[in-house]
Amino acid sequence: MQTFSGLVSVLMVFVWLGGNQVSTLRPICDLRVLDHFVREARDSEVIMRGCRGGCGVMKSYFVPLTSVDFAVWEHIDVHGQAMEVQTGLSLLDQALNNAMKSVSNSPLASALDNNISNIHSLGQILHSLDLQARSTVLPDDSAPASAQTQEVSSLPELLQVQSSFLRGKVRLLLSAAPACQRQNS
Amino acid sequence: MTKMRSDRLKIVFVLCLAFVTTGGQHFESKVAQLLRDETEDIKCFVEVKDLTCFWEEEEERNNLHDQYTFTYSYENKKNMACVVSPLSLLASNKTIFFCKLPKTPFFTTLDVQVFCDGRMLYSRSLNAENFLFLDPPRNLTVMSSGKEGQLNVSWLPPSLKYMDDSMIYEVRYAVEGSNMGKVEVIKVSTMLVLLGLQSDTRYKVWVRVKPDGVAYKGYWSAWTEPVFGATPPIDMDPLIILLVLFIGLILCLLSMTVILSHHKFLLKKLWPDIPTPEHKFPGLFTVYKGDFKEWMSQNNGSMWGRSVHVYTEELPSPLEVLSEVSLTSHVTSQIEERKPAEEEEEKDSERSDSRLTDRWREPPHAHWLMEQLRALQDNPESLSQSSLLQSHDTYVTLNQGDNEQQVDDVFEETLPLQTLFTTAGTSSLNTSHSDLGSLQQSSGSGRLSSQSSFEYPNHTWPPKGPGYAYMAVADSGVSMDYSPMSSSRIAELGKHRIYTNDYKNEIFPHKWPLSGQHIKTGSGSCSGPLW
Repeated sequence: MQTFSGLVSVLMVFVWLGGNQVSTLRPICDLRVLDHFVREARDSEVIMRGCRGGCGVMKSYFVPLTSVDFAVWEHIDVHGQAMEVQTGLSLLDQALNNAMKSVSNSPLASALDNNISNIHSLGQILHSLDLQARSTVLPDDSAPASAQTQEVSSLPELLQVQSSFLRGKVRLLLSAAPACQRQNS
Repeated sequence: MTKMRSDRLKIVFVLCLAFVTTGGQHFESKVAQLLRDETEDIKCFVEVKDLTCFWEEEEERNNLHDQYTFTYSYENKKNMACVVSPLSLLASNKTIFFCKLPKTPFFTTLDVQVFCDGRMLYSRSLNAENFLFLDPPRNLTVMSSGKEGQLNVSWLPPSLKYMDDSMIYEVRYAVEGSNMGKVEVIKVSTMLVLLGLQSDTRYKVWVRVKPDGVAYKGYWSAWTEPVFGATPPIDMDPLIILLVLFIGLILCLLSMTVILSHHKFLLKKLWPDIPTPEHKFPGLFTVYKGDFKEWMSQNNGSMWGRSVHVYTEELPSPLEVLSEVSLTSHVTSQIEERKPAEEEEEKDSERSDSRLTDRWREPPHAHWLMEQLRALQDNPESLSQSSLLQSHDTYVTLNQGDNEQQVDDVFEETLPLQTLFTTAGTSSLNTSHSDLGSLQQSSGSGRLSSQSSFEYPNHTWPPKGPGYAYMAVADSGVSMDYSPMSSSRIAELGKHRIYTNDYKNEIFPHKWPLSGQHIKTGSGSCSGPLW
């Protein structure tokens, strides 16, 4: 766990140094980084199940759709996939930040904080793979749910959506990233 | 043309059938396994890319299967229906109903429901990516790597896009014919080198696969059919063989050298000599073939010479056997036990009868003797201070005519002096049997052990020839009535073995014809310590 955190933090330093310039970073194609984020998202779900008191309030959150039909997904181009992933990550980031305001249980708060930083790291990884969306329009809380979003009413559902999203769409995108394909071939 | 077309169609049909059958076999085996292991009412698994859910037929219902309806929904969408099909399992003779979702959504929560005649029977919520049930890996091959105790195992991964980097494999291997197998787990990679195997042995290898549990989860697949492979035999380097032989030879030579140089010492330790008394008895075993009597008769002189040297260490006590010298009064003599009595018993066998004969002497003065006896009579307590004998002298009384006279239960050395004077014969006997007192009484002919000890208190009795009338008690032929040994006495004797000695002291007849008379009279035997 610590090794991965260290690795990711080093990567983040590199990416931050790169800034908004044209990405000359080496693409991060190792899916073990994403697997690490997936495990930490699952840990949050476990902590949530065992949480007694100070575990957030019933609130509606707008979260991305997570379902993947392989047949359909294969027909979407990479940038469309990237757009979906980036939008979804932004939504999750927003929702998690929103949820943290009402969480007083410290292990859960710590886990949520971890998840938020992981989502930021994923954004940087997508940037390194040149898959960052050109423009991301984040719907605010008042906007109605779009076709790309769904509404959940509790923190456990939010965490489940986060887990499914990372395992599904994000992973499929990263595994099929052209930058990584170029590297392998 | 039409014939060719029909042939092609037939081939395609056969292939499809084969594929379906194979797939069907896999499907049925998976269904059977989940029927056993899964506890949910609706059992679901993803075979390739599609989710299949099935349930067992209700026992009450025997009729049409189309009464069942299966619906599913996800992400707040409306319920979608799925076609229900029956399947009869031949192995377990059960009927199941299953539904294969046409478009399975992954990474989202699916809500499935089973209705029977409008009545909800079962329901379940699950994520499809958590129930992968893969087919066993294909093309398992086992080959020898050429190195000792190693085998190369390789196989093909499941043909699933996006999932091939999320697989974990289990390789099981065992010696052919054995049930004890080992398992190796390997992630992602589809080849493995088995190490630490026995040489020149045939092994069976199986493989199975499962999602690694991070992005995808599922059940273990079935094991593949076993594939056999043999490890290469041990290749002995000739140099190693040569070195081993050379070192073995050197070790052998070294050990032989050590053994030969110390063979005497080793022989002594491992095979010690049995001690024999042969050196003490010159010629006994070689010339006389162990016949001690013969040897004794021939070696008296030399024995005496030696025994003198021996006896200087001891304190032999002359035992006077006085014949009837008109002593009418009973003089109780207290036979004092000699301390060296025990020592005398331990004397070696050289103290034999021959010594007795040499020791026989006549007291220098009969008058002096009489005086001593009178003194004893007057002062019985002064026996211990009797100048006649050393304090540790032992008196032995002889009762020639009375075989059955039993001495009371007193110390065996304590015998009434009167018996000294009741012996038949004119000669006084002088004998020293310091250890006779310790002899246990026994019935039988009058024989005594030839062991005796002598004491020369003042050297007043020079050794005389054999013509003297001194006789060893041993050959007197008189009965020796000794009191049974007291327990204390027995204890003192301790380890000495007591035996009944019927040995006839036949040397005496040769030397002392006088004594021979006595031999013939009387009877008695006694046992003495073994020498």
